[in-house]
Amino acid sequence: MAQRAVWLISHEPGTPLCGTVRFSRRYPTVEKRARVFNGASYVPIPEDGPFLKALLFELRLLDDDKDFVESRDSCSRINKTSIYGLLIGGEELWPVVAFLKNDIIYACVPLVEQTLSPRPPLISVSGVSQGFEFLFGIQDFLYSGQKNDSELNTKLSQLPDLLLQACPFGTLLDANLKNSLDNTNFASVTQPQKQPAWKTGTYKGKPQVSISITEKVKSMQYDKQGIADTWQVVGTVTCKCDLEGIMPNVTISLNLPTNGSPLQDILVHPCVTSLDSAILTSSSIDAMDDSAFSGPYKFPLTPPLESFNLCYYTSQVPVPPILGFYQMKEEEVQLRITINLKLHESVKNNFEFCEAHIPFYNRGPITHLEYKTSFGQLEVFREKSLLIWIIGQKFPKSMEISLSGTVTFGAKSHEKQPFDPICIGETAYLKLHFRILDYTLTGCYADQHSVQVFASGKPKISAYRKLISSDYYIWNSKAPAPVTYGSLLL
Amino acid sequence: MGPLSRDAWAQRLGAFRASPSAFMAGPEGEDLGRDLLGDLRSEKLNEQTKVSLLALSLEYPAQLWPDVSAAEVAATSLLDTLVLLPPRPSALRRPLLLAATTALAAGGALGPTSGASCRLLPLLLGLAAGSDLGRGFVPASEQRPLQATACECLRELESCKPGLLGGSLGLLRGLLGQEGPVQPLSLLLALALRNTLVLQSRVGAGLGGLLTDKVSPTGGGPWDWTLVEEGDGRLQPQAPSWPAAEEGEGERSLTAREHSPEEARELRAAVIQLLDTSYLLTPVAQAQLLWLLGWALRGLQGQPPALFKPQLVRLLGTAQLTLLHAVLALKAAFGEALFTAQDEALLLRRLTLAAQHPALPPPTHLFYLHCLLSFPENWPLGPEGEEAAPLLLGPQLCRGLLPSLLHDPMALLARLHLLCLLCAEDEEEEKGQLPSPRHYLEELLAGLRQRAALDEGPRALATVCFQASYLVTRCLAGQPTVLTPLIHGLAQLYRVRPMLASHFVDFLDQVDSELREPLKVVLRQEVVSRPGRDEALCWHLKMLAKVADGDAQSATLNFLQAAAAHCTNWDLQQGLLRVCRALLRAGVRGGLVDLLQVLARQLEDPDGRDHARLYYILLAHLAGPKLGVALGPSLAPPALASSLVAENQGFVAALMVQEAPALVRLSVGSHGGKGPLPVLKLQPEALEPIYSLELRFRVEGQLYAPLEAVHVPCLCPGRPARPLLLPLQPRCPAPARLDVHALYTTSTGLTCHAHLPPLFVNFADLFLPFPKPPGGAGLGFFEELWDSCLPEGAESRVWCPLGPQGLEGLVSHHLEPFVVVAQPPTSYYVAIHLPPNSKLLLRLEAALADGVPVALRTDDWAVLPLAGDYLRGLAAAL
Repeated sequence: MAQRAVWLISHEPGTPLCGTVRFSRRYPTVEKRARVFNGASYVPIPEDGPFLKALLFELRLLDDDKDFVESRDSCSRINKTSIYGLLIGGEELWPVVAFLKNDIIYACVPLVEQTLSPRPPLISVSGVSQGFEFLFGIQDFLYSGQKNDSELNTKLSQLPDLLLQACPFGTLLDANLKNSLDNTNFASVTQPQKQPAWKTGTYKGKPQVSISITEKVKSMQYDKQGIADTWQVVGTVTCKCDLEGIMPNVTISLNLPTNGSPLQDILVHPCVTSLDSAILTSSSIDAMDDSAFSGPYKFPLTPPLESFNLCYYTSQVPVPPILGFYQMKEEEVQLRITINLKLHESVKNNFEFCEAHIPFYNRGPITHLEYKTSFGQLEVFREKSLLIWIIGQKFPKSMEISLSGTVTFGAKSHEKQPFDPICIGETAYLKLHFRILDYTLTGCYADQHSVQVFASGKPKISAYRKLISSDYYIWNSKAPAPVTYGSLLL
Repeated sequence: MGPLSRDAWAQRLGAFRASPSAFMAGPEGEDLGRDLLGDLRSEKLNEQTKVSLLALSLEYPAQLWPDVSAAEVAATSLLDTLVLLPPRPSALRRPLLLAATTALAAGGALGPTSGASCRLLPLLLGLAAGSDLGRGFVPASEQRPLQATACECLRELESCKPGLLGGSLGLLRGLLGQEGPVQPLSLLLALALRNTLVLQSRVGAGLGGLLTDKVSPTGGGPWDWTLVEEGDGRLQPQAPSWPAAEEGEGERSLTAREHSPEEARELRAAVIQLLDTSYLLTPVAQAQLLWLLGWALRGLQGQPPALFKPQLVRLLGTAQLTLLHAVLALKAAFGEALFTAQDEALLLRRLTLAAQHPALPPPTHLFYLHCLLSFPENWPLGPEGEEAAPLLLGPQLCRGLLPSLLHDPMALLARLHLLCLLCAEDEEEEKGQLPSPRHYLEELLAGLRQRAALDEGPRALATVCFQASYLVTRCLAGQPTVLTPLIHGLAQLYRVRPMLASHFVDFLDQVDSELREPLKVVLRQEVVSRPGRDEALCWHLKMLAKVADGDAQSATLNFLQAAAAHCTNWDLQQGLLRVCRALLRAGVRGGLVDLLQVLARQLEDPDGRDHARLYYILLAHLAGPKLGVALGPSLAPPALASSLVAENQGFVAALMVQEAPALVRLSVGSHGGKGPLPVLKLQPEALEPIYSLELRFRVEGQLYAPLEAVHVPCLCPGRPARPLLLPLQPRCPAPARLDVHALYTTSTGLTCHAHLPPLFVNFADLFLPFPKPPGGAGLGFFEELWDSCLPEGAESRVWCPLGPQGLEGLVSHHLEPFVVVAQPPTSYYVAIHLPPNSKLLLRLEAALADGVPVALRTDDWAVLPLAGDYLRGLAAAL
């Protein structure tokens, strides 16, 4: 279980190479083992230049996507995981774990402790999951709190030293690179008690615990016969426990009001020491019934020093917070649109912001617009072919608002107007963006009584909640729209 | 050269990293390793620069110190530098330890005879044990980090030389029990324990007191080179042959080994000790521990896998990729012994939800999907090593894992695979059950084609459409309800966007004939139904070159005739000619002759005209099968990546005669010519089917007139062939050697030439009888011949030995046709005509028991020695 090499590559479309290796690290002792284990099927780790070229080609990130290239585009070269074989100098380097995120390509090559021909199944290669964890760890480190390029550069320059701590020989010791950063900054003094490897020091100060629950709601609304609208809540509970002692024991509970929607698909942080079987088995895969476990959801844990995601969950609330329909019809040279949005009465009518984005893809710039709206203002981005309906902080008393109008477009110019493979013809959507503070759709909350701390001193508990929209689509009901299998189950 | 400045080093390191091979080949390459070691002790460089030098040595030891002795020298130098550090905190101690370890392990210098190894190992073990190394070697603030680093170094050495720390197990266990750093010691102990278990079992030994002895029994330090040697330097895989875990009884018996109750108890205690504190490890380290211990204990008697059970619930609840993966590894290692059917179901459910959980990143989803389709089931039904949906993963569980157009290509393909597996299982699908997976699949494919048809769409959209179609054809072969709409959908896609022709050609190359043949038909119809000027003409021609065959000839030819007028540039003309070529290969003749003639005259480009003419000539002169081969793909890889060269090589292979080993054998049968000339009877025999065989003979020494070639239409092995008659026209009556060549066509259509072994014409093969005299006056006739030989001729007497059959047997066997006067069993007069015009007369009379005196006369002196040899050899030939 080790990595032979790791790379960070920035994707720079339009430049001659389309990318630059920003960081790379090789592990020669692992490489030596790879040569023995892989035997005749061994392919050495290439230098950065050839690797960059082969990886960008395989990920289709080179600019020359114009022609059919069999070694990339053949229908038999099906890749179903983020693990690739790269053709370099006539040999295939495999497995290369790689993914693109925020214009950085994260890549590594895990050691396979056997021959590569025939290829063993990925599930049997222990280094694959470690490779992913390694890359996610680097990604977290680079992007946590990072605002601009110079910060990114600073963090990139810290990587060699950090990896000397977190992964000195290719075997990852800690995916949380911030721990290594703390380790290098101040060495901890010998502790009499066992110190967890994921906790590099101890907290000194006032005890306090903060819990924040962020729910994202996504939805696909079609307003159509035979196709069900779908929506789902995804929750993330983030905690920061500032408590003295090496291993303070804490139990955090999440509660639901009586009419709350049960939490499902709960994934917990590894610092949670035990889990109730009801939590482990409550799952969105099963049909819902009234007997579903509805809390309280107790998580006994030993918290790490830094802020961590205590758990993720999903939930199926009975109704979507905003129900809408969108009708769009092509009438000769113009589009006629009608939009209706209704806020459900149970939802807190106090938004930080709420707006509907109405994009028009694969068309020219907006040249003419006539509209009537019952509420809010409309902003027009002519060149981007986009309308933004700013609804504001509150829905009106009726809870229902509407917008109708006609839009005319100019000639298409490919550079400026966006292309979209889905919104063809009248297939179109509007997307809602909103945020409500101090509110969760499931009703899930944490309060003063939710936290039990088995350590000296009573901590100050602070709890936060918010609801954010994410992928909240309302499709034009007058045209075909992409559906998921779930939408067909009525 | 004096020490370099900080900037000079930064520049040098930058140049090296840009391309290590280029740097090492340059003028500075040779000195880099030496300079680096030297400058580590320079007082002019700050610690940060030195750390960057060490970092380089951690990555590229093989370039800096390319052989074992250089690595040894480097490690020694690094250790010296470490010892010489002043007794105050320094950022160099950790990287120096790492660098020395890397240099030894990567350079292959690690071993009992290496001085550096013998210095490094005690140092590392001392540091790991937290013992006082004296002289303020380790400042107090660095003690703990160095302890951890030393453990890591030891672990790396143990990984590269399994068994090295076999003697230190007791020591490490003791340290773990005290206040040593938990994670590095746990991982080190787990690895050393695993390696020791594997190696000891290989030599049939038990653990002995290894787990309890604090000091090694071997003396000379706790490292165990003997165990390393027993391991034969073989590295230990983490999960040996996972796929075979379920059925690998052989593997199991290899690892099955007995431990004494005491050993088993100690081992269990050590494992429990490791597992109990495992929550103190980072998640990735916990995962490593589980992989190591799981596969170490597998098949070990007295070590119930239930030891792992307390960890499982905790692990199943997490979202950590490494932890869930490690649970799957335990599942694969222990199967039902650790996971009941209910546990298996729970694990599958957790995996299913992790594969779609919105809070996890897409690469994780994809990996979990892979794990689902490769899930180590307790009782797998399907074939080994093939992706399949586990039995417990019913349609209900899969619902959220089905693809939609909104997924990115990889997720779409991964989920599509699952959908296909569902459709394949779902053959006895309930009617009216909505929505049927198969119907959903069809809709999805239609959506993909619609996207691929977009004019401005990137190629990736087309690629994913064809990949999805290919996946479907592979999973659902033999299901016309799926394939028929697919074929028509693809034809429609071609109609809308012919520029995807390359994808279609590739698709046709990859799929089975079940789909290929009907798809070819509809695509051909698509193309030929739209003759005339078209922007997509080049794509149509490309498509047609793939799908044109003997069917629908006239439509295809009409299309080409119409297209010819628009083929104004070289590209289009070549495209057109490629279609002609495909038609030629398919055996189309009729209208094609006319078309080629027209093209040979009309095409603007001389190259195009030449090609057309060539095809025309080939068509006019070669038979169908031969033409097919001539135009088939070249057997030899083209020397140049040019179609013309490739084509020419194809012609060369097909139209030229190939030298080949003889696929035909000839043997000479009994002679027996009745006519005016001796005739050689040949029996041919083929080793492979051959056609149009032509046998050519050449007589050495021009003893006979040139021989006619013999033709055989076809020869098949195992099928008796008619004997071939080869008339000889001797110019003088003498035996001869015939040189034989064969020219034939193989079943693949190649013309071959082979040199066969020579044939020998014996003296007796030339014998012809004299025409029988009228009236049966044999004696008179013979006497007349006898007398006519002299005086020009020759006379002789020869002793002809007789075998057990006596004279009668000899005559009847060899000379029967030539006997003119016979008085059996005592007297025979024999007259032999030797073409062109010699005679040989024999009187065999008064035989004795062991021989017969033969009086012979001939009119040709030259025959005499031949006749003598012949007669003397007769008895032996009997």
